[in-house]
Amino acid sequence: MSHALRAAAAAATAILLSFAAPVPASAGKADDTLNIAWAGELPTLDRYFNVLREGELVARMVFDSLLTVDPQTFDYKPLLASSYRFVDNRTIEFELRRDVRFHDGEPFDADDVVYTLNLMADPATRVLSRQNVDWIEKVEKIDTHMVRLTMKAPTPLALEYLSGPLLIYPRDYYSKVGSQGMGLRPVGTGPYKVTAFDPGKRIVFEANRAYFDGSPKGRPTIGRIVQRTIPDQNTQIAELLSGGVDWIWNVPNDQAAKLASMPNVVVQNAQTMRFGYLAFDASNRTGHSSPVNDVRVRQAIAHSIDRKTIVKRLVRGASEVIDAVCFPTQFGCVQDVATYDYDPVKAKALLAEAGYPNGLDIEFHAYRDRPVAEAMIGYMKAVGINAKLTYLQYEALRDKVYNGETDFTFMSWGSYSINDAAASVSQFFKGSKDDYARDPQVIGWLEGADSAIDPATRKDLYGKALRRIAEQAYWQPLFTYNVNYVHSKDIAFTPTADEIPRFYAVTWK
Amino acid sequence: MTMSETLRAPAAPAAAAQPPTPGQILRRRILGHWSLMGGLAVLGLILLLAVLAPFVAPDDPYRQDLMERLVPPVWNAEGSWAHPLGTDHLGRDYLSRLLYGARVSLLIGFAAALGSGVIGTTLGVCAGYFRGRVDMVVTFLVTVRLSTPVVLVALAVVALFGGSLEVVILVLSALLWDRFAIVMRTSTIQATSQDYVLAAQAVGCSVPRIIFGEILPNVLNNLIIVATLEMAHAILLEAALSFLGLGVQPPLPSWGLMVAEGRSNLFFEPWLIAIPGVALFLLVLAINLVGDGVRDVTAPDGRT
Amino acid sequence: MLAYSLKRLLLAVLVAVTVSVGSFALLRAAGDPAVAMAGHSATASDIEFIRETYGFNRPLPVQYADWLVKALQGDFGESLYFRMPVSRMLADKLPTTMTLGGLALAFALCVGLPLGIIAAIRPNSWIDRTALLISVTGQAMPTFWFALVLVVLFSITFPLLPPSGSGTWKHFVMPTVVLGYYATPAIMRLTRAGMLEVLASDYIRTARAKGLHPAVVLLKHALRNAVIPVVSLSAVQFGFMLGGSVVVETVFALHGTGQLAWESISRSDLPTVQAIVLVLSSFYVVLSLIADLLNAWLDPRIRVA
Repeated sequence: MSHALRAAAAAATAILLSFAAPVPASAGKADDTLNIAWAGELPTLDRYFNVLREGELVARMVFDSLLTVDPQTFDYKPLLASSYRFVDNRTIEFELRRDVRFHDGEPFDADDVVYTLNLMADPATRVLSRQNVDWIEKVEKIDTHMVRLTMKAPTPLALEYLSGPLLIYPRDYYSKVGSQGMGLRPVGTGPYKVTAFDPGKRIVFEANRAYFDGSPKGRPTIGRIVQRTIPDQNTQIAELLSGGVDWIWNVPNDQAAKLASMPNVVVQNAQTMRFGYLAFDASNRTGHSSPVNDVRVRQAIAHSIDRKTIVKRLVRGASEVIDAVCFPTQFGCVQDVATYDYDPVKAKALLAEAGYPNGLDIEFHAYRDRPVAEAMIGYMKAVGINAKLTYLQYEALRDKVYNGETDFTFMSWGSYSINDAAASVSQFFKGSKDDYARDPQVIGWLEGADSAIDPATRKDLYGKALRRIAEQAYWQPLFTYNVNYVHSKDIAFTPTADEIPRFYAVTWK
Repeated sequence: MTMSETLRAPAAPAAAAQPPTPGQILRRRILGHWSLMGGLAVLGLILLLAVLAPFVAPDDPYRQDLMERLVPPVWNAEGSWAHPLGTDHLGRDYLSRLLYGARVSLLIGFAAALGSGVIGTTLGVCAGYFRGRVDMVVTFLVTVRLSTPVVLVALAVVALFGGSLEVVILVLSALLWDRFAIVMRTSTIQATSQDYVLAAQAVGCSVPRIIFGEILPNVLNNLIIVATLEMAHAILLEAALSFLGLGVQPPLPSWGLMVAEGRSNLFFEPWLIAIPGVALFLLVLAINLVGDGVRDVTAPDGRT
Repeated sequence: MLAYSLKRLLLAVLVAVTVSVGSFALLRAAGDPAVAMAGHSATASDIEFIRETYGFNRPLPVQYADWLVKALQGDFGESLYFRMPVSRMLADKLPTTMTLGGLALAFALCVGLPLGIIAAIRPNSWIDRTALLISVTGQAMPTFWFALVLVVLFSITFPLLPPSGSGTWKHFVMPTVVLGYYATPAIMRLTRAGMLEVLASDYIRTARAKGLHPAVVLLKHALRNAVIPVVSLSAVQFGFMLGGSVVVETVFALHGTGQLAWESISRSDLPTVQAIVLVLSSFYVVLSLIADLLNAWLDPRIRVA
């Protein structure tokens, strides 16, 4: 019997150690169905009331905005508008397309634009991302296919908002069913319509055959797209390998590298606008004093972590180390800021200087990339900083951050894919509930930069703020992210730097 | 779950024919019981390795080397004796983590079994000794406890208070005492009707003296059996909590956490999950074998 | 029987009330519900408005009573994350978990009962040993580990079964085996112990002495008596499996109550967690009540106890 036990244990090991190389089967090409999977659970498909990245992917399929950005050149192109012009630096006029209909057959016109934008800009509507709408003063109808938008103040990012988050809803439908109804049965003008939605479980899309010609998004070619939520990464990979799904993303690099060698699998790695950072409670917002209130401790932490090796060995792909708290291609993201190279000796010296010659204990929060968090904990431990990790889901950690309860967090930020420093540094250092530095000087500079129209002035002010932030080590920027898209050889898929997969542009091979 | 069968293990040793004393019979039974001996041997070995971890571990379990990530174990073609069991996703020596992880997993098992044992035994013995109202209250508490979905409540509490070794141990102690209470209650009722207890009551011994001096020693075997079951249960539950990201927090190496961390590499570096998985399996198996063995050798007619 | 039933029913109600107090306390222990409901962009007056509207400013016992009355009518409030009635989400997810739990229990019975019986007929034979091996293995293997091994084997190496989802019967095979295997040892051991006890009893010896066919003795007389405790254990196991399917549901992306509970816990969506805990506990209370009454009916000795 002890023999039997030993045999059983050996068999269990052998099963795991020696299984044959899997051979992926082909998936849904035959019935014109693209099966995709991701981990996020969307609570609602009303994009104004969800903040998950996956919500943006759905929004781009189902809805259109007035303008759109070319993902390769970052140029603005008209989408639901046929043309637009700046009347002055606070006013834009849009000429609207006349050949567009919503999925329920209602024709699209100025009433829909005026209704949607005014409703979402109204503070009483309480959309989740206020910065997307609170620059709008009013939107007026000039005639059935002409509207005028007035801003509260000159807004450099106006076109950016109008090309992404500001989707146009059908007035009749939305005023009838409200956000709840829209969240379950969305009706838009986009290239795909939603035919079934089980919240947190499954979304079924059907090609909108009546999608208007001449849209920069192009007409949809795949008949049906089925999205499933699969929380476990291994299960996603197993589904891909067994042909149950055709497309997954955010596959860790270790697995992606191995998957790339499989016969029917394509792995594409692309840099994204997302970057990782360590945020410190420099201004003692929590109210219980913490070692990181001291700039020397923050600098010591920055010096203790070998970001280059983390990027080279752990994050890999197209990622790179960054020093300023913005994405390098963003407008105003200057690079001549103080840097903190890997230097454990200096880190120890700084700690001793700050009064912690024997090291210190600190609470550390994170919500993603556990291996990276662990690697950083390992580096900090080597200089005597014991970071005690609490790992939470994004929503829970975000609430803690907003409520001023965190000393030290490892976070990431995707700038809503907006290629301007206003969407990164200003988001966090202008005194909002995200701001743990509360530096009046920085706040002043950023307010100036965000409302100035002259590019040189803006760049100068962002530079001042970024240099001050780096000098004070309010944050330690870490690296830019990359994403692995893993999909079947049957489809043609082009990743974009904005981390928004465009499923409407996917075609069969 | 298996309470009714453990209840069946009678406390009284067998009244054998003539020459061998009960002690000798017991010793012979223990030595002749292969699975008990096997379980004890494995458990002893794991315990020894855990205690000696600082001396036998080839490396610091926390020292990471990102240049040496995911080195396969020595039996693999690319493996080397520098890392006999390879390295994990941060380049930490896997054998060292396994050895130190034994400490954490054993500690969780022991501490949770001890904590829940104290709660459950106190309640069970009181219920069984005093009967009446006390018994009713305890039975009610046990029923409430049994109606609580353990995994969900453990997850919720750990999520509220944050995952740490202390929280995990406290939560498990607070949730796993039911079987102790049930078994101790029944055993105490049985023991209380025995002559020696009645005699002690008659000569006016104090209640603590009777409980600690007469009753507890006589229900000890059942206590050990339940303790082993709950220890195994606690270790597996911690592994499940770790799998869901709410167990002990890294870089502390528990075996459950090692499996959880290794699972992202399941398809391509399977040893990362196989090694701690097998270790976990062996540990829980050994504990269960010891529990079964204790029941067998203290039961009157061998294994029932 | 009536007195016993009434006593048992009273206990069940008391337990249910206690559990509901606990599950109500869980929500309040985690913070101000008005703040949580108001969301991120809320002002102090928004929160005050919600507090007034939902009556969070009333004394706690009043709020509890109010919550309980609503919960009894199936109104568990609104999910903070999905912004829809929790009862609707439960109605959507419970069938999956129930199906899984039912199938797993059936699996455990199909494996555990015969093995337990055979092991009892031939104690210490190789079948008994194998049964013991299966039982100790089942108790020692981490659920998620077993689940992942099955996925590797039967979805990838031999692509026979889909690794996740709940569309067809094939989707339920692996989750059923994993969850059911965990419950098998207890059922098997109890069957074996019960059979051994019954087989050693006087009336079986009498039946045998009368020269009845061994199979008749076994199936007609012994099994019926040995199976009584297994019935109540099965009910209890079913309750456990409903609450313990979190890991299985997560690995196989089954979207039942377990996975919903886990996701809701990590999202601090407390009304949902609270409702799930309450519903699962109530299930357990009802199941164990039924099991006890059934037992008392089958075995008159219990009624006296």
